[in-house]
Amino acid sequence: MPVTVDLRSVRRVWLVALGGAVVWLSAIFLAPWLAGRGAAGPARFIYAVFAPLCHQIPERCFVLNGHPLAVCGRCLGIYAGFAAGLIVYPLVRGFSRIALPPARLFLLLTLPMALDAAGGIFGAWKTPIGLRFATGFVWGPILPFYFVTGVVDFFRTRQERRDSQALEIAAPKK
Amino acid sequence: MNPQRPEYLRPALIAGAVAGLLSGLPFIGAGNCICCLWVVGGAAIAAKLLAAATPGLLKAGDGAVVGALTGIVAAVVDAVVSIPLRSFNLGLARRLLDKAVELGGEMPTGLDEIVSGSSVLSVGWFLLGLFISAAVFAIMGTLGGIIGVSLFGKKSLPPASSAPAPAAPLPPPPGPTNAA
Repeated sequence: MPVTVDLRSVRRVWLVALGGAVVWLSAIFLAPWLAGRGAAGPARFIYAVFAPLCHQIPERCFVLNGHPLAVCGRCLGIYAGFAAGLIVYPLVRGFSRIALPPARLFLLLTLPMALDAAGGIFGAWKTPIGLRFATGFVWGPILPFYFVTGVVDFFRTRQERRDSQALEIAAPKK
Repeated sequence: MNPQRPEYLRPALIAGAVAGLLSGLPFIGAGNCICCLWVVGGAAIAAKLLAAATPGLLKAGDGAVVGALTGIVAAVVDAVVSIPLRSFNLGLARRLLDKAVELGGEMPTGLDEIVSGSSVLSVGWFLLGLFISAAVFAIMGTLGGIIGVSLFGKKSLPPASSAPAPAAPLPPPPGPTNAA
């Protein structure tokens, strides 16, 4: 059920998430750019930051400046999709209400990526990097609708519980 | 919303420990390469455990908290599990990269030095790695916890029994659940 919330709190969370997504995507491209310019130390640090999240197998990564990006094509698709989802968020949901997306939509958008990944893991097929990117890009846009909703709701709930405690303390005891 | 704060720690510890263990093991840990599968999945399971242990309806914010905690626990367990397996993991990474280079691939800058480096881990690098992992896993876990509430959270409370209930609290304000 959609819930009406304070416009500013949603906008604030959305802006922070958008800024984070821009920094995250920039870092992915920054690593090979730095490597290409001979700044091996900073490039190595960025590659290491993304290492727990992605296999970074070079032939599954797009290439910039002769060096692979910091994540594979699928992960890049997910992060780019996340950023795209954030951009369209105000148009789809607006800033005055929050609601989680339907579970069926989430499962539907997950399906192409899950099938692609499962086929790759079990050796049924080997998809080209562009298709990996595409399946990730299909899944990514729904994620901000969870993230923004959850974080806004966290702050809202915390404030409500604080107000409730303050009322209990202020109430005269019988 | 629950008038009382749900008990986040227990589901986060259980799911985080399992997710961290899976993340730290060789081969199996590669599951995290699919968008942090173990961390996001573990956080979703934590939300399911939380929903089972909480009498009221869970909100997206509850999922965010339990997910973030699960991610942090997973990062700590992953780091601890990885210590004794470090030499093995480095050897495995070395072999995989050699294979990739044989097949004509290109090795990311500096990765060669990392996998060829000493298997001895300095405390500083360990703590830095743990901090970064905890931050990233917490973000991914937050997402997983919220998705978990959406997928596994109760959609409505069971109907009240016909027996007269003693002084029921006021109904809580609605929280965000699945959109129509």
